[in-house]
Amino acid sequence: MLEVLEGLAGRRRRGRHGGQGTPRGTRVVVALALLAACLSPGLALAPARAADEPVTLTIGVLNDADSLNPFVGIEAMSFEMWQLTYDYLVTYSTKDLSPEPALAQSWDTSDDGLTWTFHMTDKAMWSDGQPLTAEDVAYTYNRVIDGGPEAATWGAYLTQVTKAEATDPTTLVLTLKKPNSSLPLLPIPIVPEHVWKDVAEKDVKTYKNEPTDGQPVVGSGPFRMVEGSAGGSTYVFEANPDYWQGAPHIDRVVFRVYKSEDPMVQALIKGEVDFVDGINALQVKSLQGRDGITAQNGNAPSFDEIAFNTGAIDVDTGDPIGDGNPALKDAAFRHALGYAIDTQQIIDKVYQGAGVPGSVIIPPAFSTWRWEPPADEAYTYDPDKAGQLLDAAGYKMGSDGLRTMPDGSPIGTLRLAARSESPTSLNTMNYFQEWLQDIGIKADVVSMESSKLTNVILDGNYDAFEWGWYVDPDPTTMLDYLTCGQLGSWSDSWYCNDAYDKLYQEQLTEMDKDKRVELVHQMQQMVYEDAPYLVTAYDTIGEAFRSDRFACFAQQPEPGGVWLFQSGAYSYLHVRPAAEAGDCGGAANATQASETSGESSAVSTPVIVGVAVVALAVAGLVALLAARRHRTAADRE
Amino acid sequence: MSAPVASGTVAVTSRQLARRRRRAAFGRSWRRFRGNRAGMVGLVVLTLFLLVALCAPLLASAEGLQVTKATGGVLEPPSSEYWLGTDAYGRSVLTLLIWGARISLFVGLMATLISMLIGTLVGLTSGYFGGWVGAVLFRLTEWFLVIPFLPLAIVLATVLGRSLMNIVIVIGVTSWPGTALLIRSQVLSIKERSYVERSRALGAGHRHLIRRHLLPNVVPIVFANTTLTVAVAILSETTLSFLGLGDPTRVSWGSMLDDAYSVGAITTGSWWYFVPPGVCVVLVVLSFTLVGQALEEVLNPKLRER
Amino acid sequence: MSIVAADPTAAAAEAAQVNRHRRRGFGRYAGFKVLGALGSLMFMLVVNFFLFRVLPGDPARTMGRGRLSTPEQLAEFKKTYGLDEPVLQQFGTYLNNLVHGDLGYSILYHKDVSEVLAERFWPTMLLVGTSTVLAAAIGVWLGIRAGWDRGSPLDRFTTGGSLTLYSMPEWWLGLLLIAAFAVGIGPLPGIFPTGGLHSVDVDPTSLKGVLDTAWHLALPVVTLTLAYLADYALIMRGSLIDELRSDYLTTARAKGLRDVRVRDKHAVPNALLPTTTVVALNFGFVVAGAITIETIFSIPGLGLLTTDALHVPDYWLLQGVFMLSSAAVIAANLAANLLYGWLDPRVRT
Repeated sequence: MLEVLEGLAGRRRRGRHGGQGTPRGTRVVVALALLAACLSPGLALAPARAADEPVTLTIGVLNDADSLNPFVGIEAMSFEMWQLTYDYLVTYSTKDLSPEPALAQSWDTSDDGLTWTFHMTDKAMWSDGQPLTAEDVAYTYNRVIDGGPEAATWGAYLTQVTKAEATDPTTLVLTLKKPNSSLPLLPIPIVPEHVWKDVAEKDVKTYKNEPTDGQPVVGSGPFRMVEGSAGGSTYVFEANPDYWQGAPHIDRVVFRVYKSEDPMVQALIKGEVDFVDGINALQVKSLQGRDGITAQNGNAPSFDEIAFNTGAIDVDTGDPIGDGNPALKDAAFRHALGYAIDTQQIIDKVYQGAGVPGSVIIPPAFSTWRWEPPADEAYTYDPDKAGQLLDAAGYKMGSDGLRTMPDGSPIGTLRLAARSESPTSLNTMNYFQEWLQDIGIKADVVSMESSKLTNVILDGNYDAFEWGWYVDPDPTTMLDYLTCGQLGSWSDSWYCNDAYDKLYQEQLTEMDKDKRVELVHQMQQMVYEDAPYLVTAYDTIGEAFRSDRFACFAQQPEPGGVWLFQSGAYSYLHVRPAAEAGDCGGAANATQASETSGESSAVSTPVIVGVAVVALAVAGLVALLAARRHRTAADRE
Repeated sequence: MSAPVASGTVAVTSRQLARRRRRAAFGRSWRRFRGNRAGMVGLVVLTLFLLVALCAPLLASAEGLQVTKATGGVLEPPSSEYWLGTDAYGRSVLTLLIWGARISLFVGLMATLISMLIGTLVGLTSGYFGGWVGAVLFRLTEWFLVIPFLPLAIVLATVLGRSLMNIVIVIGVTSWPGTALLIRSQVLSIKERSYVERSRALGAGHRHLIRRHLLPNVVPIVFANTTLTVAVAILSETTLSFLGLGDPTRVSWGSMLDDAYSVGAITTGSWWYFVPPGVCVVLVVLSFTLVGQALEEVLNPKLRER
Repeated sequence: MSIVAADPTAAAAEAAQVNRHRRRGFGRYAGFKVLGALGSLMFMLVVNFFLFRVLPGDPARTMGRGRLSTPEQLAEFKKTYGLDEPVLQQFGTYLNNLVHGDLGYSILYHKDVSEVLAERFWPTMLLVGTSTVLAAAIGVWLGIRAGWDRGSPLDRFTTGGSLTLYSMPEWWLGLLLIAAFAVGIGPLPGIFPTGGLHSVDVDPTSLKGVLDTAWHLALPVVTLTLAYLADYALIMRGSLIDELRSDYLTTARAKGLRDVRVRDKHAVPNALLPTTTVVALNFGFVVAGAITIETIFSIPGLGLLTTDALHVPDYWLLQGVFMLSSAAVIAANLAANLLYGWLDPRVRT
């Protein structure tokens, strides 16, 4: 290689001294360029979007799938791909994410809540032609119930379930030890028994579940994966024309992984992709003005909060650990701080307006479960009230303009930890610092990696930090994070309240929906008043798509929710080419085509420019060789 | 009796002579440097940037850096009020640029200091002493050369966490091997020179040899190399910030570029946010390189003819 | 960049170290160098392991995110991946696996590390390899032209241009190029894609596929070529100027040989030596990828893999990437040394 290089370098020839090499080199380039110009129309004349050309929805995303094996992957991208590939027993509604029939058309439960019976469709088929039966469902669930790697992701949904049994091809019966109130929510992808029975438990970890030799992964969902690999940059899905709920209206879904936002947005503008997910509020704003593009900040099922160290303890001995500020152990002190946070200001300045001011730990998306604080209890931005509450709790203003502990000792400086990878986190804490200063409390903002923050939280060496949670459609997991049982595990505020725990256990087994909602409301209220978390904002996810090409994306939750990356494959089943926008049908909030623009010539550009690039490269080589020949001539003279 | 007096006089004059000679040498170097147009242009630009960095508090209020005190709108284009427009939080880009100069230059200079200290120490030791210490140090240098710079810097930055000093340390610790090798080769060649050998034969100790013969010959090269290293250090700071490893609580040119990029400078068309910091980086790095090259030419007789 | 540029001096240093009276044969020299390279490799393998264990963060917790994992599940995860063993024991396993050619298992992508590396290898080779070759060829050519006609407009343009390019963060340059040629500004049409390695439908082995890949890689390759160019141009220029001052050239010219022949027969071959070394060394760094360029152009190469693996942290994947790239640099270093020793007998120790 090196010798070749050296040879090339030595041969570089036509100089001022050498003379006539230049014209010839130029001529070659011109000739090749001409050739390229002649060639390219021929190559490019491939029909630009003929009628029978497949309709492809290309989605630009910022992350790759970490595994296509549903028992192994954890990234959002992987979940999205399983939703396309597999069916679920029960799915989520687009409206408020409540359980909705999927494979199971209906279900009933015994009075004691210990037996659940699901009545399934008989129309579902695997992509290799085998029928999908209750046996497959039972097989999948039993793999999860048996523990091992399969239980890691899905075990939580089958808590208390001891056995899954197919009594006939369309009936599945779950037997439980104790009632489980989060049923029938079962977002577990159903895998084909005839494929997975060959995958032993010890091999699950390494089983890739990727298409091999052009053979798609066997699934039953609306699409099947024909190309792609964990960590890859392109994933191709083809529509399943025989899908039991009706074939999708598009032929293919392609995910393209971009590693940076701005080029991805440009790809949308240029038409290289049709949908982008995960863009920021300013990009959404600038896209909203463009013809042929529709953009929104969709409500995400998550919240961001400022969390406090309410008293870290050693889980085994119960002794206090860490160096948390004693003032923050007092619920009255934390409660007072709730009036010192201007959540609207945070939304306007920190979130660029793309978000909803925060209040309780269940986001507005889950209207069924959410408790709305009444006006007389809700935190408002009111520094005077915060001051009065602090005075009342004994945190009096000292002579130096700083508040003191009830015993007169100084409070000291609160450390506000921001996650260094998130500007939002940092700016929220910057504002919080100022507001604390206004009510006579000194604070410093420190920033650290979230991985380090995790350790600091576990050691109890912090006062406050900014972070957030994604919330499941069933509130159990979110509520669990604040129970005493999670101390030293997922609890990050060290909040422990026996009354709260009692309610938590009650709602776990309460089979009456209304009663359970009441319990969940009480728990939210408790957390709101004790304020281990002060919820700052409900974040949004920026999305945009080519409305001149596609229509009928449905929001989840409705209204204001996201168009894709939902719980369930609803949008993929309903999206249509823009020309068929009138047929969106049932989806009331579905997006309509904004306008149709001219045909794009995307097909020919790569060929033309590709030819030009290659031609230039060849021209360079030829010029080199020509020059070389010239030199030989010069040498001879 | 006259002998001590005479020797005393001689000693004084020799010291004066040495000083005079040094001053003359400096004058000669300066004249030569002044003759180098590129070097002079670099020097002038650098002086300007240094002045801006030093006078930052006079030119723009530090309050302008705080998101909470921002007065402008979101991504406003340049106007008479905000000469270079505003950023995503309504801060004046010009203010950020002025204060960013401080951080960028500070990181560049401090990292270079660390890099020079380690590099000189390792290079001198491994070149002068040889033996197994020299061999081990040489291996270590080689190892640092073998590991690709950016991945190593990223790993170190992740280990240390993000703060201004850590960025300085990361860049300093990853950029010394070049200097070490340069100095080692110098030391090796000076060591072989006849006057050094003669001095050693006459019983001169390590201290004397290093202080009298090696250092004076090595320092000019280190000096020229320093300016070149600052250029690389500033570029490294920019790149690490772009990869999100900079100090998030401080504004540098690198962090400005990163911010501009992540809010979507191309999509939002906010060139005033994205182009000026980049141009400043290019100007400063280019100036350091030009000055470094000019210094090399002036101080290294072998290169003078270039 | 400076690190690399400094390395010819390393070779020179060794040259100086040589006792000039005793010149050894090439065989012995080569043997010495190979041993040294093996030593470096061993050292690397050890450092590689411990370097990543000090990373903050806990892979078990990172991979447990998004699941309601109990402490028992965390413990089981650690057990599955051998994370509960004492570090020294893990080190033993690591060495043992290495001997058997097993690079371990990536907990990020749930695949063998070697498989992940293989997938990411070619995009990087295509991008960085092409750019290195192009930059070397163009840089050397410009360097020769500039050095030969010192002070000419071409020289000034080349030197000024390469210094400016050298002073630019390459990703900033890349983004400017994206804005100009992929997005299009004013009259410039955006004829290049904004990212990726190839289109979805195209078979990369067909003619259309090759053209399509060339179309996708044009901008990133141009960016990297421009960024790498300065090194070669400036080194080549410098060594040619050095060479031009040597006595034999004056003699050659005095003998009446034509300038061009003097340049190509004598000056350039000798002056190529340092540049060749730098090119050889830089080939080693090809494997490390170009993290920033791969990021902005979304090219799934080895550079991106490093940053992705760091977030977990995926020790095994990081070890694999670093091992691959340092082995490549060591090999390239060895090649450069051998080449140097072959071409210039003076350096043989």
